[in-house]
Amino acid sequence: MTQAEIKLCSLLLQEHFGEIVEKIGVHLIRTGSQPLRVIAHDTGTSLDQVKKALCVLVQHNLVSYQVHKRGVVEYEAQCSRVLRMLRYPRYIYTTKTLYSDTGELIVEELLLNGKLTMSAVVKKVADRLTETMEDGKTMDYAEVSNTFVRLADTHFVQRCPSVPTTENSDPGPPPPAPTLVINEKDMYLVPKLSLIGKGKRRRSSDEDAAGEPKAKRPKYTTDNKEANLDRFHQHFRDQAIVSAVANRMDQTSSEIVRTMLRMSEITTSSSAPFTQPLSSNEIFRSLPVGYNISKQVLDQYLTLLADDPLEFVGKSGDSGGGMYVINLHKALASLATATLESVVQERFGSRCARIFRLVLQKKHIEQKQVEDFAMIPAKEAKDMLYKMLSENFMSLQEIPKTPDHAPSRTFYLYTVNILSAARMLLHRCYKSIANLIERRQFETKENKRLLEKSQRVEAIIASMQATGAEEAQLQEIEEMITAPERQQLETLKRNVNKLDASEIQVDETIFLLESYIECTMKRQ
Amino acid sequence: MAEVKVKVQPPDADPVEIENRIIELCHQFPHGITDQVIQNEMPHIEAQQRAVAINRLLSMGQLDLLRSNTGLLYRIKDSQNAGSVSFYLSKMKGSDNQEKLVYQIIEDAGNKGIWSRDIRYKSNLPLTEINKILKNLESKKLIKAVKSVAASKKKVYMLYNLQPDRSVTGGAWYSDQDFESEFVEVLNQQCFKFLQSKAETARESKQNPMIQRNSSFASSHEVWKYICELGISKVELSMEDIETILNTLIYDGKVEMTIIAAKEGTVGSVDGHMKLYRAVNPIIPPTGLVRAPCGLCPVFDDCHEGGEISPSNCIYMTEWLEF
Repeated sequence: MTQAEIKLCSLLLQEHFGEIVEKIGVHLIRTGSQPLRVIAHDTGTSLDQVKKALCVLVQHNLVSYQVHKRGVVEYEAQCSRVLRMLRYPRYIYTTKTLYSDTGELIVEELLLNGKLTMSAVVKKVADRLTETMEDGKTMDYAEVSNTFVRLADTHFVQRCPSVPTTENSDPGPPPPAPTLVINEKDMYLVPKLSLIGKGKRRRSSDEDAAGEPKAKRPKYTTDNKEANLDRFHQHFRDQAIVSAVANRMDQTSSEIVRTMLRMSEITTSSSAPFTQPLSSNEIFRSLPVGYNISKQVLDQYLTLLADDPLEFVGKSGDSGGGMYVINLHKALASLATATLESVVQERFGSRCARIFRLVLQKKHIEQKQVEDFAMIPAKEAKDMLYKMLSENFMSLQEIPKTPDHAPSRTFYLYTVNILSAARMLLHRCYKSIANLIERRQFETKENKRLLEKSQRVEAIIASMQATGAEEAQLQEIEEMITAPERQQLETLKRNVNKLDASEIQVDETIFLLESYIECTMKRQ
Repeated sequence: MAEVKVKVQPPDADPVEIENRIIELCHQFPHGITDQVIQNEMPHIEAQQRAVAINRLLSMGQLDLLRSNTGLLYRIKDSQNAGSVSFYLSKMKGSDNQEKLVYQIIEDAGNKGIWSRDIRYKSNLPLTEINKILKNLESKKLIKAVKSVAASKKKVYMLYNLQPDRSVTGGAWYSDQDFESEFVEVLNQQCFKFLQSKAETARESKQNPMIQRNSSFASSHEVWKYICELGISKVELSMEDIETILNTLIYDGKVEMTIIAAKEGTVGSVDGHMKLYRAVNPIIPPTGLVRAPCGLCPVFDDCHEGGEISPSNCIYMTEWLEF
């Protein structure tokens, strides 16, 4: 774990869970797997608090535990999982686009609580939706559970590993920590829930309780569900590929690619380099209804996609009208390379970007050749090459002519190692997000006094409205906040929003780079 | 009366006669004759006289001395060269053999020119002598120095009236040893605009995708014709020049290239294949990292909480937030 990652994790844990959890969490990330007593001793917190903190962390899947020999239970923190907390808004937004408000709230509840049983989720979501609906309408449990079932079918929600039920009770003492197992097939099973009931509003709970005499007592389930983050990542990756195709070719091609990806969602594992081969007939049948293009046109598009220099789509056979696969690894590599090029372009200028792409294409190239191919004057080309070299975007390969490696008699070739450049950039992203979060906290702290004042005023107004005050009095209270202060508040809100949005944008870059690095490491 | 030993001179022992005979022989064998051949032809001439005749012919520049595996060869010089030889002979009457040697070496280098160190190696003369000779020759306007574009300190020498070769002056992109960046930039933009407009028209035609794509391609020959017709270049540009410009567009990420097999004889095909170019869009918009000030910050590595440069007092962020 690099310094930047640890810093970012500590900021995230502090923001979401508080000081104590942050201390324990960071300690675990720094030192790896440790038993309970050692944690308490090293961090200097009481055993009780450590237990509570660990409870929170385990609930949210941020810490896992294992029983070692001699019955010692050790806890280990998952640093990468902590960094996923940055991506929660993106997950929630994606569900909203796919499954509308109900789905969005379901995923939000699951993410905020780590793990929940289905019935608890359904109840909470129904209550929240009922809040926002107009008076008199309530949200039916059935609708919410339907959406839940659909989410589980498309694997966005999965069952958590649970304690295995043993047929005969264990004669010996129960183990210090249960080993959780989950059957692959059961991962997406949803219990048959006959939840009948309606959402309750917070304020009028007494009235509703009386008005539902026939409501059966809902059966509560005991196994927990959690959000399947891998599936979300798969979805993001598909989105990135589709938009890349749309940028390079046209809308219809991107729709075809989207159809192909949708068909392989469940059948292909997320780390496979290629999707399953799909025949052109199948694709034609699965195209969305609005797109009425003829079979020949579809075939032409597929041929064009397969011949494109991008190489996202490949042809793997001729049966069934042509079998096509999507080359996932190549797609991720192209996206990561495009990210690198974009960073070089923005940081150093478009001429540097030209040199960077040249070295990428030629793999190894001498300085003299760089000047000739890129048509940039020698002095400037040299300057740019050295700048990129010092920032670790490029590296030098020495090829000596003589055994004594004399510099005047050695070839020096410039080359780009995409994997190491991606790692370097990823590290920079982590530090950038940490900086943005710190700035946001600083801005909030600066204006703390003002924020508190505005909160007090709002509370006063709300209470006065509840007790039925006059217009004039409300106006008077509102004027307690002067115009410049109001302005300041506006600026603060705008800045905080901007910083927040920027965090999410940097996180997109992180996603592309991480997927590429993961994919490449698995290949090796 | 003392006995006077009279050397009987053979009838054609006249030095001029010997020389003429040798020249005739050389004309008979244009590839060169060895000493042996001359000896066979004129067996009654002593080696000494032969040597004198040959030396005279050499110094007059009518014979060339070459070395082959078998020995030394004497070859008649071309009439053309003989003409120029007589020309410079008249000019260099006073110069010594060294200068003639140096001039010979420079002439042999043709239009690529030769560096002073190479002249030294070939003639085995010391550096000071070489420099003096070169200055002499330059003042007589027989040779000139051309600055090489590759290494600007190097000066290559060539005959005064020769055109320097492309590799020395850099070709169409250099004018007077200066790389013409603006010229290259202008050509770059023009080519790109041409390809972009072609792609636009193809996209708007809304025919089936195959035709659309094929019509958005332009061959290098088409681009070359377009640029020639535009007339923005004072220098004549060849198709290879245009291809180098198009390659820079590829490295800019704005254009992609494919090679297709073309029939020999179709316009613009080289060795049975043609290069086609097409304008493309980038596959991702500028990435998230560069939208935050940290992505472009020059002092990124010095920034940490509590230091001189920290996120809390970052001026770049302050400016960025005020947008």
